[in-house]
Amino acid sequence: MHQVEIATTQNTLLDSPQMTLNMGPQHPSTHGVLRVILKLDGETVIDLDCDIGYLHRGMEKIAENRMYNMIAPYWDRLDYIAAVSNGLVWVETVEQMMGLDVPKRAHYIRTILTELNRIASHLLWLGTHALDIGAVTILLWAFREREEILKIFERQFGARLTCHAWRIGGMPNDAYDDFESDVRQFIHNFPNRLDEYETVLNENRIWLSRTVGIGVISGEDAIAIGLSGPALRGSGVAWDIRKARPYAAYGDMDFDVPLGENGDTYDRYLVRMEEMRQSRRIIQQAIDNLPGGPVNAKVPKLIKPPVGDYYHSIEGPKGEIGCYLVSDGTQQPWRVRVRPPCFINLQALKRLSIGHLVADVVAIIGTLDIVLGEIDR
Amino acid sequence: MALIALLAAPNFIDTLLLKFFSEQTVNYVIWPFIQVGAVVTITAGWVAYATYLERKISAFIQARLGPMRVGPWGLLQPIADGLKLLVKEDFIPENADRWVFFVAPYIAVVAAFVVMAVVPFGPDWAVITDVNIGVLFVLAVSSVGVLALILAGWSSNSKYALLGALRSSAQMVSYEVSMGLAIIGALMFGRTLSLSGIVGAQASDSIWFLLYQPVGFVIFLISGIAENNRAPFDLPEAESELVAGFHTEYSGFRWSLFFMAEYAAMVVVTAVATTLYLGGWYFPFVYRLTEAKGYHNAYVVVSLIVFLAKAGLLLYLYFWLRWTLPRFRYDQLMDLGWKWMLPAALINIVVSAIGVGTLQGLDGWHGMDTIRSVTSGLGLTPTGKVIAIAFGVANLFLTAGILSLINWRSRDFNLKKQRSKIRLVDLPKGKPAVAPVAVSEP
Amino acid sequence: MPLVPVPKPTLTQKLKRFFMVDLLKGLGLTLRFNLGALTSSDSVAGKGIYTEQYPKVRPDVAPRFHGAPRLNMDPETHDTLCIACNLCALACPEDCIDVIPMDVEVVVAGKPRRKKVLDEFIFDTSRCMFCALCQEACPTYCLELTQDFELATYSRAGFVWNREMLEQGRETVKYES
Repeated sequence: MHQVEIATTQNTLLDSPQMTLNMGPQHPSTHGVLRVILKLDGETVIDLDCDIGYLHRGMEKIAENRMYNMIAPYWDRLDYIAAVSNGLVWVETVEQMMGLDVPKRAHYIRTILTELNRIASHLLWLGTHALDIGAVTILLWAFREREEILKIFERQFGARLTCHAWRIGGMPNDAYDDFESDVRQFIHNFPNRLDEYETVLNENRIWLSRTVGIGVISGEDAIAIGLSGPALRGSGVAWDIRKARPYAAYGDMDFDVPLGENGDTYDRYLVRMEEMRQSRRIIQQAIDNLPGGPVNAKVPKLIKPPVGDYYHSIEGPKGEIGCYLVSDGTQQPWRVRVRPPCFINLQALKRLSIGHLVADVVAIIGTLDIVLGEIDR
Repeated sequence: MALIALLAAPNFIDTLLLKFFSEQTVNYVIWPFIQVGAVVTITAGWVAYATYLERKISAFIQARLGPMRVGPWGLLQPIADGLKLLVKEDFIPENADRWVFFVAPYIAVVAAFVVMAVVPFGPDWAVITDVNIGVLFVLAVSSVGVLALILAGWSSNSKYALLGALRSSAQMVSYEVSMGLAIIGALMFGRTLSLSGIVGAQASDSIWFLLYQPVGFVIFLISGIAENNRAPFDLPEAESELVAGFHTEYSGFRWSLFFMAEYAAMVVVTAVATTLYLGGWYFPFVYRLTEAKGYHNAYVVVSLIVFLAKAGLLLYLYFWLRWTLPRFRYDQLMDLGWKWMLPAALINIVVSAIGVGTLQGLDGWHGMDTIRSVTSGLGLTPTGKVIAIAFGVANLFLTAGILSLINWRSRDFNLKKQRSKIRLVDLPKGKPAVAPVAVSEP
Repeated sequence: MPLVPVPKPTLTQKLKRFFMVDLLKGLGLTLRFNLGALTSSDSVAGKGIYTEQYPKVRPDVAPRFHGAPRLNMDPETHDTLCIACNLCALACPEDCIDVIPMDVEVVVAGKPRRKKVLDEFIFDTSRCMFCALCQEACPTYCLELTQDFELATYSRAGFVWNREMLEQGRETVKYES
């Protein structure tokens, strides 16, 4: 742990004044339009404040004026990297509120594509995190893998990034013709690639000295703040919604949950790398056992969930993404509230960064894996 | 035929010039000008195409293509870049110190290019001037480049540029110390400060000083890379840091001068490393095949190509390191310079001195013959060479031991075992998330 | 201060540390990529080059791609398939479709009837999110999102497409290779 003593000298000539530094909204390393106001003593961070809202688009307000099936394309744009997961949480919330019975094949295909999206999101995280710390090559390699996943998405959904993936009650189209062979080819090649990334980074002394002991948070503190996802599991807390409250086809899947120990940046890195391997395992099982049948439930002509409120959350790549839906019985929801994992994870930034150097703040923002689309909505 | 004509050209030009000027003018005024022109052109071309090579090599490492559009295979890309930078708007920040702002990039470029005056590209006429304090000249002039950094940061009138400049210059100065000390080991075997003399020592002994001084070579290279602010030591100018460092406020042609100065400094470090450790323009069998048969100019040209190839390999090392390794944080960087490089350089001097002393002591002892001559460097017999190489290898292990001893308490040294393996847990499955039939009232 | 206890490193570990084995492993992999880029051709599983040199080489776009909208015509009568039902405009979350119908007189079984046909169809591609809800809503498979993704224009007005542009599509610029 990087211990820092802030000098308390009586000699006023030596006391350097604190500097306020603005890592502005336009910055190559703040993964979106995040403004971080740092108070520095020399190079050590004493205080940190985040200024968000640069990407606020009023999603929740927009949702109040749209019909339930029209809201799904907007939900892709929350965490635009994990659009498929966002679509899934919306669709599942409405389906469960209405009591629809989604067929098993749809659940399996949803699982496969959501796990592919998890791998894609983690690859982007890996690329940008390594880029910030200086290993540029990993970014390009990770994007090459991502490209394969996005091709599968394009062939299945029609769009690469903001796929309007799911419909209420199932899927718009069945899996395309080459779906199984494409997915199998991807998961065949993928472990080699992961080994390549780990060869360059895992034992690398420069990577270790930039990430071990940086941004440490203990398990109790993590639960107190409300962290979720790999940020929580890196601190050793065993909580994964895919296991605790299985949704889609996760109840049938057999996989492990990686847990870190120290709660530092390196552990979160290892947890996410291992999660990619476990995702691959889930996809392998799902594609081997893919059932036949319809992909759509019987859905009423007009989607009007019963009056009441409902909360449903899934394990997105960045954490627990949830949707709290209050319905007044009409075709448009009364209120929709997103439980944004990145927003809640970002609250830990101050606690993680104080005492570290400025160069570490960049690494910590990277390890929390934030996407401003979700933070600002 | 054309090649032979080319190789005969110097003689032809020489005779032509002697018709018009006195011999003294030709030898001391005109030829130096021609050499300077040639070297500056070659270096500037080398620098420009080093940028092209960097882009291509980085692209191949990253499974992409690099510049492909401008010219065949993108070969005209540096020219396109240069033209673009020339036509950019040239503005100066409002309260900047104008004259200092103008001068700083030029100082950087000049400091990097002037060093090429003493670097021996080949024997005989392929070195502009063979100053007999060549090594000292190189170290002194390349230090002038640091001044340019500070002037640039100061004159920009920007808080962040100044901080970046101070950090860059502190880093460069720290690594210059170990760079200078690392050279001393090679000098003990070369017995002269003149760069041509050192190459001559390696040539006459048919050895590369790399074999006597592996530690020195490594220290020199690492310090050289840190000198040039190149990855993995490029935090002061990395974009993910606060600013672009000292050249934040520079744009257009002035920025391109800094860029050229950085690449020229890279070429200087690789050239000096080649000269000191990799045998410079010497390569076995070249002398026998060319000079001994009377083809003097061919000898020089082939030696020139050998030198450029060796320097090119070291330049590839620069690019390779940049695109593989992450960046050091600034405090880790300074830690490396003062607590690892400097003690290693000092240990290198001590062990090399003991090695040379042993060689001199063993000479003539019980009929063992280690030193052959001391005219052109420390000429050693094969026995002597074996002893010297053994000292070089022992130096490696000794340095490893002492450095671990000095740094055993430091945080970064203990990381490898500090990191834990993550554990895979198969959590018990909970109840699936299904909707209750009746939902609560809002 | 380490957070987990630090066991003493063994001699092998010390040697590996001194000879920078961890860095050399990473460097070896990058070197293999560099050489592979020059020799290998497998870019998915191997180390070949993965670049697609757009615009010389056009990408293979999937059949389901949500690209530029198009109003399909009946191949036999060369008449539009659109029946001006307005379902696409109602389905659009962004209100970027405007269907303007008109009444025409037709004679059906000897009796004059008024039939609603399409007069003008305005589609604002700048507001469109390419969610394909309109394509799903269309009952006659008239409105379709094609594989065209090059939608840039030189003016804001160029984004608003009328019926003629939707029926004929846009020309793609061919680049010389």
